[in-house]
Amino acid sequence: MRITQRAVALSSLQGLNRNLDAVGRLQQQLTSGRMISTPSDSPTGTNWAMQTRADQASVAQQARNISDGKAWVGAADSALMTMLETTRRVRDLAVQGLNTGSMSPAGAEAIALEVTNLRDSLLGLANQTLGGRPLFGGVTAGRSAYDAAGGWVGTDGAPVQRRISDTEVVRIDITGPEAFGPPGDDLFAVVGRIADDVTTDPAALAADLEDLDVAIDRMLTALADVGARSARIEHAEQVNTDRSLTLATQLSEIEGVDLPRTIMELEMQKVGYEAALAATAKALQPTLLDFLR
Amino acid sequence: MSTFSGLNTATTALWAQRRGLDVTGQNIANVNTVGYSRQRVDLQAMGGNTVPAFFSVSHAVGGGVSADDVERIRDAFLEARAQQEHATSSRLTAEADALGQIEQALREPGDTGIQALLTEMWAGWEDVGNNPHEEPARGQLLERLDTLAGGLRSARASLDQQWDQTRENLQTLLIDVNNAVAAVAELNQAIQRATASGLPANELADRRDTLVLELAATIGATGRAGSDGTVDVVVGGITLVAGSTATRVGLAGATESGGVGSDAPRIVTVPGGATMRSGGTAEGQLAALVDIVPEYQQRLDALAAGIAAALNSAHAEGYGLDGAPGGAIFGGGASGTDPVTAANITLLVTDPRRVAASKVPGGALDGSHADAIAQLRLQPTGPDVSYRRLVVELGVQTSVVERNLGIQAVITAQVDASRESVAGVNLDEEMTNMLSFQHAYSAAGRLVTAIDETLDQLINRTGLVGR
Repeated sequence: MRITQRAVALSSLQGLNRNLDAVGRLQQQLTSGRMISTPSDSPTGTNWAMQTRADQASVAQQARNISDGKAWVGAADSALMTMLETTRRVRDLAVQGLNTGSMSPAGAEAIALEVTNLRDSLLGLANQTLGGRPLFGGVTAGRSAYDAAGGWVGTDGAPVQRRISDTEVVRIDITGPEAFGPPGDDLFAVVGRIADDVTTDPAALAADLEDLDVAIDRMLTALADVGARSARIEHAEQVNTDRSLTLATQLSEIEGVDLPRTIMELEMQKVGYEAALAATAKALQPTLLDFLR
Repeated sequence: MSTFSGLNTATTALWAQRRGLDVTGQNIANVNTVGYSRQRVDLQAMGGNTVPAFFSVSHAVGGGVSADDVERIRDAFLEARAQQEHATSSRLTAEADALGQIEQALREPGDTGIQALLTEMWAGWEDVGNNPHEEPARGQLLERLDTLAGGLRSARASLDQQWDQTRENLQTLLIDVNNAVAAVAELNQAIQRATASGLPANELADRRDTLVLELAATIGATGRAGSDGTVDVVVGGITLVAGSTATRVGLAGATESGGVGSDAPRIVTVPGGATMRSGGTAEGQLAALVDIVPEYQQRLDALAAGIAAALNSAHAEGYGLDGAPGGAIFGGGASGTDPVTAANITLLVTDPRRVAASKVPGGALDGSHADAIAQLRLQPTGPDVSYRRLVVELGVQTSVVERNLGIQAVITAQVDASRESVAGVNLDEEMTNMLSFQHAYSAAGRLVTAIDETLDQLINRTGLVGR
């Protein structure tokens, strides 16, 4: 095949262009830190990257849900424990009131007064709010779960739930009726009855004590329930942290550039480019003109 | 044999070698000219009389050398192949450009594309589910829904802009084509006249062939040899240049992307309106106008309609903060009654209290419906999956075209190298030719001197007896 000077020049230019193109591509990867900058670089990698990003966002949202759920469950837990303490004090007072032999009317009055005060404090604890919503009120839009007289004003149709993973929701609330008893015959009604019976009908205090024990058992069950949910949420938190770490690793493996490898390739490409430049300089210079007179 | 026939032979020799030197000089002067094909002087020996006769017979030897023809060395088959390969290469370049622009409009994978807007919207729904009583969370959700609609609208708008720009570029391209076609016709006429009167027209032919190659790259033309050294230019079966007559081309069809379905843009001849099957850059841009951009516009529209339908039907099953059932979230246009496309998707809900987060009617603070809506992102037929499919198919299409372009670039380079090898000027070869012509010229000069001496002997020294 006949070779002309122009053909040699053109092919040298094409070779230099190819080299420079490779250098440019490696440099773009290094400066952006990403191997995939357009979908055409790797369509399957793009799919993975988009899915991983979406999963990362939902895992972050679930972390927020989990911490919110932990706050609710923790608040319910501490409220129930305090109320349990108070109820045990009421029980002691009731037992004291049952002992009519060694009590004077003034003593009974004093016990009745204290029990009433304890009932008010129980109501106050039951009406605790978290973030503007009553803790034991269910999905009510109101500001409290029990009114001043002890009647239930919450809404218990639907549970308050938080999503802790793509497939699980966990209930984080406990309604008043579930923890303290059905309206009309719940903890506050029993304590109110005790406050009355201490002064009026001490003999009925025995039946009241049984009711109070039932209420205490109910509260213990509720506490166990809340505790179990709290453990489940903590376990989910650990899983969530692990998953977000895995996703971040996965995303960097798909998208991120392998720095040592890319830097080495860039160096090799630069050496190749310099060699091509030197070869071009040597090949294009001599012609027959140098040798003729 | 006449007395001075030897001198005549020497004169033709001098003239022919000098012509050879001229042609070599022309080649050397044009060694770097693009599109120049090397020329070679065609030396023909002139013979003596070979016609038998009775009385006027001469035994003369040959009469010298004739150097009338200067031929242009160019391979017509390689030229035809080059036209084809350049046309394919330009077409693939135009298609790759169009697809690359669409990729840039979508900006995936990244944190600023529609995927990120969808993800934020789903997160907004979950936040409302956690805090259904908080108006800031609801307001943020409405903002994110609005941003999603805005993102869809702006992606569609950039596709529309790309369509308009491509159409404008194609019109400008066709103006260039018309100019080139007119120039080819003029050159054909000049070459025809020169060839008919026997004058060399090699430089004009080079210029014309460069123009034809340009036409091949822009519109997929092929050259067909005509009479008297002219070349007819044919595009998809329609003759644009026949000898010295030229036909103009224009762009017909829809002027905006919406009308492509009913009146596809096409290239037509201007007086006749006949559609031509073009190639080259024009074909690539037409493919972008008729196939590529409208396809992705329709898919974006379908995505927007899918998002609106999924969210609207899910939202209608929940209840707002005041107990009212949720209405449509997205609608088409300001009135909300047109069919939803990516160009007119608008947020219809403006009151944060009307976001339907609750499954329980009557104003309870239930957030489970908002959570159910947020889980739509995992649906295998949901908006997330269809958008990912769109992006991946775009990526596959673009990478296929880019790979084909790479292969085609190698083929085109090979064809160009073959053409250069046939028609290019090699300086070493020209130097050697120059040496031969130089020596031949000096030898012819010597011949003149020798004949001059013999004639001098004959004229001045013969018949001078005794003087």
